[in-house]
Amino acid sequence: MKPTLIFLALASMAGLSAAAEIAQPHAAGIEAKNYLWNKPNKTLTRALKQKADPEKGKIAYEECRGCHKADASGRPDAGYPQLAGQHTEVLIKQMLDTRSGRRDNPRMHPFIAADAIPTRSIPDVAAYLHGLPVPDTNHKGDGKNLDHGKALYDKDCGKCHGAAGEGNGKEFHPKVASQHYPYLYRESMDIRDGQRRNADTKMVKILKSYSDEDVAAVSDYMSRLPPVM
Amino acid sequence: MRHRSLQAIAGLTLFAGGIAFSAAAETVKGDPAKAVPLVERLCMACHGQDGNSLIPSFPKLAGQHPEYLLHEMQEYKTKHRDNEMMSPVVLELSATDMANLAVYFAAQKPVPGTPSEPGLLALGKKIYLDGNSESGLPSCDGCHEENGKGSARFPRIAGQNPEYTMEQFHLYATGKRKFGKKVMVTVAERITEQEAKAVAEYIASMP
Repeated sequence: MKPTLIFLALASMAGLSAAAEIAQPHAAGIEAKNYLWNKPNKTLTRALKQKADPEKGKIAYEECRGCHKADASGRPDAGYPQLAGQHTEVLIKQMLDTRSGRRDNPRMHPFIAADAIPTRSIPDVAAYLHGLPVPDTNHKGDGKNLDHGKALYDKDCGKCHGAAGEGNGKEFHPKVASQHYPYLYRESMDIRDGQRRNADTKMVKILKSYSDEDVAAVSDYMSRLPPVM
Repeated sequence: MRHRSLQAIAGLTLFAGGIAFSAAAETVKGDPAKAVPLVERLCMACHGQDGNSLIPSFPKLAGQHPEYLLHEMQEYKTKHRDNEMMSPVVLELSATDMANLAVYFAAQKPVPGTPSEPGLLALGKKIYLDGNSESGLPSCDGCHEENGKGSARFPRIAGQNPEYTMEQFHLYATGKRKFGKKVMVTVAERITEQEAKAVAEYIASMP
């Protein structure tokens, strides 16, 4: 342990720790020249091919419940997404991108790192989550600009994310219906602003023309799409 | 769920650090009657004959999952866990002794603790069930269950002595229990001293 870290931790008085959390690694993403957002690498290809066992996934998911909750409904106040019913391909890709550091999330990283969950458990967890019913108690926006949100969604988003927000697992397009509004808003903003380094480049281009209000309106609309199984 | 005997203790050493005993629920096979002389000679002075330690810094073992008890004894033996009291004691235990002790203490009836600072219970309950969304601290119930009884994968913590709980937080946070669950290292790094105290009190109050 580095003495400087001890000093910093004591100085900030944050937490009990004298050791800084292990930093999330950094993997090349959208800033890289030949970036292809949906091109699976070896790990992802193997994980997608693995015969997944939702029963094993239920057990492996126990470590995730402290944040994402037992019913996988997430936590809107903390920005933790609802995971229930999400496509397995999407879940596997996002878990692996967070592990490798292609998707920046230092808060989640220690819980998805290789020493916290074995790689073979990731498809199992995804299969378990995919089979859970989607709760409709998710956090929604203020509901003030829904017509505008719908117009934007139908024009720009439905083609990939589906008219009902059902997404497309094979294409890694997430289900967005009934997702928490604060999560949809934050992620859309991050994608627009280049902060979400594993984003679809097509989506970045589309969102570039969006104002903050546009992002809010379309996020609100998506959060209100009824659950799709 | 598939159950497999853990009597072949040698197999335990194959388990790697943080992922240890997480693979599947296992069942420990042992004879609690054979543990009695060992309990009387080696364990009861600190942990109590029935595993309800009255000394605040020593953990209660009564009603603990046998998988966890066996695993932790093994951890002391392999020096993954180190404690000046426990480490020498475990050295003289055979694989069979440890299995017998694990099933003995697992079969004892746990007695709930008495919180020393009842004023902290409300905060403790909040942290236990909700975590802290500001700091990214997960809730405890995710792994240890709402009632604190844990599972074959995660230890029972209900009724545990607060001093012992606090010491474990500190050991995790300072990297001295680094072979334990990695998730707990992160928890201990994110929890504040006040939150840790409160949650330790709440845990102690759980039946």
